[in-house]
Amino acid sequence: MDRNIYGYKCGACGHINYPYRMRCRKCGRTEYTDFELVPLPKRGKLLTHTRLHNPPADYLVPTLQLGIVELENGVRVMGQLHMSNPMAGMPVEAKVEVVRRTDYDSFYGMIFYPA
Amino acid sequence: MRKVYAVGLGITSFTRLEYPLSEIAAYAGMMAMRDAGLAAVDHVYVANMGAGRINHQTGLASAVVDSLSLTPAGAETIENGPASGASALKTGFLAVASGVYNVVMVIGAERMREANNLETTDFVATLTHPIAEYVYGVTLPSLAAMFTRLYMEKYGVTERHLAMVAVKNHDHALLNFFAHLHEKITLEGILDSPEASTNNPYVSEPLRFFDCCPVSDGGACVILASAEAARKLGKPMVRLAGVGQATDTHAVHEREDPTELAAVRLAAQQSFKMAGVQPADVSVAELHDAFTILEIVESEEVGFFPKGQGHLALERGETRLGGRLPINTSGGLKAKGHPVGATGVGQAHEIVLQLRGEAEKRQVANAKVGFTCNFGGFGNNVVCLTFIRED
Repeated sequence: MDRNIYGYKCGACGHINYPYRMRCRKCGRTEYTDFELVPLPKRGKLLTHTRLHNPPADYLVPTLQLGIVELENGVRVMGQLHMSNPMAGMPVEAKVEVVRRTDYDSFYGMIFYPA
Repeated sequence: MRKVYAVGLGITSFTRLEYPLSEIAAYAGMMAMRDAGLAAVDHVYVANMGAGRINHQTGLASAVVDSLSLTPAGAETIENGPASGASALKTGFLAVASGVYNVVMVIGAERMREANNLETTDFVATLTHPIAEYVYGVTLPSLAAMFTRLYMEKYGVTERHLAMVAVKNHDHALLNFFAHLHEKITLEGILDSPEASTNNPYVSEPLRFFDCCPVSDGGACVILASAEAARKLGKPMVRLAGVGQATDTHAVHEREDPTELAAVRLAAQQSFKMAGVQPADVSVAELHDAFTILEIVESEEVGFFPKGQGHLALERGETRLGGRLPINTSGGLKAKGHPVGATGVGQAHEIVLQLRGEAEKRQVANAKVGFTCNFGGFGNNVVCLTFIRED
């Protein structure tokens, strides 16, 4: 299944807000009902990353890799990383997969792999 | 606007405390009343972040004001994440400056050790953006780690610099009876020796165990009063001369330059402007070093050192006790401890103590102007305070 994470494009200034908010961050003119939903691109550049050695309780893994990625359209996102040797500046590509599983829910988000 | 003075100081040890949260808060308040020589106040503010979630208690201020038998004085709880303490002081400042109240008690208190390690990490992580950060497993240490990596690449900060902050603040805490960690550490033990990686493992790369503050319980109190009320009490006149506060994007990745802490810069500028002083006038400062990198970066953003040069000042020993501008003489969050809601009041407690000349073994000579930076979220809500000693 082809899943997407969406950005919220301002009808007045074109700024893509991510995450969702009630008024456009850049111009303040567009309210939430007027945002256009645009799927965020999957490819981008890794800006920074970390390996977390004490992940939250929901994660049954010894370490969790996280990173901030600048997508092709300039929007930045947080995501999980699946790669052996992350380097700042490297090209990456996302799949939208389960990023957190609790007793009752699964949450989807971006997981980045080397492009 | 009326002038506002800090007239009473109280604090508990920052450590693991086996007392109910309301008693921790009330104890700090009682010590401050004793210090000021006051039997009553007009209003009580209690800063706290986790009572409802961790201690299963809501309406904390009502419990505290009754415990201190200060009823029917008005009381409220103030929650602003880890910046709750300075937010409460700012609120108390506004109340006295406006003339609504003459004497207000500002308490900060937290009891985090009632919960386990995973619960407290999750509790603090709920500060992050729910759908853009939290859902990925982001915690505060991981945000700080990603920030640190960017900073290292851009400005040449190394793990050695981070360790130097930890060593310095642990040294300072050895001189503070109320600090959480009375533990001498060395660069050899946490960085250079073969055992260092065992002593000091990664928490979130490149941040290690000794780059992170402990999880603490504790309470602190500062009583604020108008000039007229303060003079009657006969304490050294330390004025809360400037308050500043600024916010930034909730999600860290959205900031235009993710190596900047814009809210720190703006809050500091406001605070200095109101006080009518410059960063260069400051003789002692408490900065929010929940992670060692933050002390370095905040020392730049508030204007003590040029951007990218905080770690060089640290290398030269300028921020150590005896240096040009001692930072975190209390031990900072790193070693004094970080009971989140109490931290901002604890910082103010240390600065007023320094300006009064009552800081004993860690006293900074001739301290006239003091400064605190209390950092909420990952830099999305920052409160800065400037204190001046008047003779």
